[in-house]
Amino acid sequence: MTNKPVKLPEAGQWPDKVAPWALLAGIVLSTLGFLMAFLYAGPVNGAAVDGVELIGGQMVANKLLLSQKIFYFHMPVALVSFCALAFACYYSVRFLATKNQRFDTCAKVCMEISLVFVICTMITGDLWERFEWGVWWTWEPRLTTYLILMLIVIAYFVLRNAIDEPERRGVYAAVIGIIAMVDVPICFMITRLIPSGVHPVVLREGGMSGDMGMTVAVCLAGLMLVGFALYRFRFRQVRLQERLQALKDEVEILEEQR
Amino acid sequence: MNPVLADIYSTVIPSMPFIIAAYALMWAVLLIYVFVSISGLKKTEKQIAVLEEAVAELKAE
Repeated sequence: MTNKPVKLPEAGQWPDKVAPWALLAGIVLSTLGFLMAFLYAGPVNGAAVDGVELIGGQMVANKLLLSQKIFYFHMPVALVSFCALAFACYYSVRFLATKNQRFDTCAKVCMEISLVFVICTMITGDLWERFEWGVWWTWEPRLTTYLILMLIVIAYFVLRNAIDEPERRGVYAAVIGIIAMVDVPICFMITRLIPSGVHPVVLREGGMSGDMGMTVAVCLAGLMLVGFALYRFRFRQVRLQERLQALKDEVEILEEQR
Repeated sequence: MNPVLADIYSTVIPSMPFIIAAYALMWAVLLIYVFVSISGLKKTEKQIAVLEEAVAELKAE
């Protein structure tokens, strides 16, 4: 049996050449998605009003909910955080299999990206909730599972900072990374398992109208590309730091030998 | 204004601060992350310059 050499992710590989273009495309698509949310996607109806009015050629008998426009970025940022966690889990498994620190670095950067998008999801969700339901927080199944997810991601970084020895730190962090991923399908499926009025199931046939689906897809594509570009940029920076540290250590050894 | 129309649009203006805050804070979080990464990069570049000097001194001796 031959041992195939492990191909390691490294700064300067092809994804780094694609990343600036991905960032540009991501910004363009996000801007387009933002405009579509307000100019293309139709308003969502709220509570019924006492009467009917003709607006834009349509009979309207409900309050128009402008706050729903937050949804067009709220759901995509949540999906990007899930995606980043899936990659963090993949790199954590690779680290546990190979014990190569490079995979630990990749997993750490993925977790950072995930945390950034989790915070974005929490901010957009909380502001929407505050306006619609008049509260900053409610112990609803989706919110609770997502809060648990956020706490696991924060715990990942607390744990990393608490352990100095690299391999032990990598192993513990990898386990937390995998546990975080276990919560992702639970968080995603919870609205199907425990139906709730706060978070309807939108990813299903008839869940969204065509204009809403198209707008969400454009925002999602844009934010996925932004997330990918951020990951590559941060990965390059962290790798540079690691290489610098290795060089410093070598210089110190050389100085001691003189 | 027509009372029915006023009722239909009654939540539009009050919701604006929340919508603006949601979008602004979301992009602010992403930009803060970018700035943190850039400051880390600049710090690393400075350390590289120090290391280069140290290597040059070692070579000179």
